Amino acid sequence: MKYEGFILGLTNGVACIAACAPVLMPYLMGEGKGIARNYWLTGQFLAGRLIGYLVLACATWTISRSILQAAGPRNIIIGVAYIIFSVLLIIYGFFRKEEKNCPAAGAKRPYQRLLASWPALLPVAAGLATGLSFCPPMLLAMAGAAEQPNLAMSLLFFFSFFLGTSLLFVLAPLVGVFKRFSVLQIIGKLAAGLMGLYYLYSGIIMLVGGLKL
Amino acid sequence: MIAKDTKGIAPPHQQAGILKTLLLCLPMLMVTALMLSAGKLPTEPVRLFAFVLTFVFINAVFFMMISTGQTDRWRAILFVTYAAAFVLSFITNLIAERGSMSISESNMIEGLTPFCHIVIPMTIIPAALTKTIIFPGTIFGTKTAIASMFVLWIGSSLALGRGFCSWACFFGGMDDGFSRLFKKARIRSVDSRWTYLPYAVLLLVVLASAITLDPFYCEWLCPYKTVTEYPEINSVKTAIQAVIFVSLFLALVVIIPALTKKRIQCSLFCPMGVVQSWTNKINVFDVRVDPARCINCKKCIAVCPSFAISEETITAGKTKITCMKCGKCIDACAKKAIFFHIKGTPLNAENAEVYRRLFLYPAFIFLATMAGGSLQDAIMKIINLITTGSMI
Repeated sequence: MKYEGFILGLTNGVACIAACAPVLMPYLMGEGKGIARNYWLTGQFLAGRLIGYLVLACATWTISRSILQAAGPRNIIIGVAYIIFSVLLIIYGFFRKEEKNCPAAGAKRPYQRLLASWPALLPVAAGLATGLSFCPPMLLAMAGAAEQPNLAMSLLFFFSFFLGTSLLFVLAPLVGVFKRFSVLQIIGKLAAGLMGLYYLYSGIIMLVGGLKL
Repeated sequence: MIAKDTKGIAPPHQQAGILKTLLLCLPMLMVTALMLSAGKLPTEPVRLFAFVLTFVFINAVFFMMISTGQTDRWRAILFVTYAAAFVLSFITNLIAERGSMSISESNMIEGLTPFCHIVIPMTIIPAALTKTIIFPGTIFGTKTAIASMFVLWIGSSLALGRGFCSWACFFGGMDDGFSRLFKKARIRSVDSRWTYLPYAVLLLVVLASAITLDPFYCEWLCPYKTVTEYPEINSVKTAIQAVIFVSLFLALVVIIPALTKKRIQCSLFCPMGVVQSWTNKINVFDVRVDPARCINCKKCIAVCPSFAISEETITAGKTKITCMKCGKCIDACAKKAIFFHIKGTPLNAENAEVYRRLFLYPAFIFLATMAGGSLQDAIMKIINLITTGSMI
């Protein structure tokens, strides 16, 4: 196994966590869980990122001149991903009320049912959307993956890149030490909602740019 | 839910005699004369007229504060006038210097953007990490330079804590003014969850600014861009930014404050307000409640513009950390159960007027000093308008 991907990821880990922290930290604060549970949630978030990376690895390798190198389709794909993710984040931040124990509290709305049925949906979507950011380290990784002799090596390159970038995420779940401060849950959810608004704007701008409207 | 409207009886205020009032006003007369003139009386007639008018106005307000025993009623007159004068003065100066309210990229590169205190929380982490202040302004040289604003902020925070927001901030008078537009609140309750929104905004702008190395709040969220300066609109991005600024200004500074009679921008959005709330911890002045005197009329809860009083805090004998020390609750209390207090001194409501006066001196000096320059400048601009047909 070659180590370039891992080293590339390791050296750019700070940039990666910097890009993901504004989404991940408010989410973890908003959930208000303990450290152990936060590791599980961070794992789901990282799983989303890994899915995004592996999709990119396949796309990069199978198409030597990847469609993702063309600005239009790239912007449309990422724009749509951002918009879907931002809507989830906005619902989470501003509209998702605490679950009530009272059975007479009324039927849940569709998005509440969706998030209740698929609790991992939000962290995975968050990981996927933030993982699809075409930052300079990612472009370097894509260039590295494109040079691999076969698809398996390309996937391995991206996987090792993922491992390198993920090391710093070990610290994120430690925010769980503040779980007793219920106020932080409210603040975390509101901050996640605000960040959702920013991603919604970013998604719309990318989509508009991609469609050349 | 908070902020239920209640009716109360007219509060009695401890009124001072004319001689005592004059004696108590004497130090303020001397200090304001010195601060407004910078040690030298203006010789130009227009400037002299502006100086005299400002001096008289400011000291008349202080005289009324001492004479009537009321704080917020008179503070608000000066504070709101100050905000209006600041906007008038700032905009006309921008147009005189640049020909427009908008700031171009070349202006930013040259470091010509005036620094404002709201940027301070955003600059701290990047400054610690990169030893760079992420703001397109100058560090020294002008009164709106970064260093000047830091010094001013540190000084006022030490002296007033979050009182800064009611006695020094040049933006605060805007939503304070609009919150007084109607006699009664049209929206009488606000979900208490929203009082945590400023913390979320602070978390967002600190993280986003540290990552992007841009002043995120200024770029995307500042409502006051509408009445100060804004980026030149030359792209979709800057057009969207302008729409956001105007929408936030109308919603947070004009419409919702008018409907709720609360300072919504200051209490529910401003990230600087959060930082100022923490400085209340190190400031010597606070506002306390004597539960024994309290008749539970809840008038203080209803009138507090910053959601800083609740039934729980009254029982605990204090206000929340978000108290802006405007004095509105103190003016409204019929039983004088709520009062300014100096930390470390006995909790004696009988000494309330002494505590109030001791608070008023530093607070009013800040307000007078901050407002003085803008007021004089605005008066001169208005005289220019009358005599020449142009403010510039």
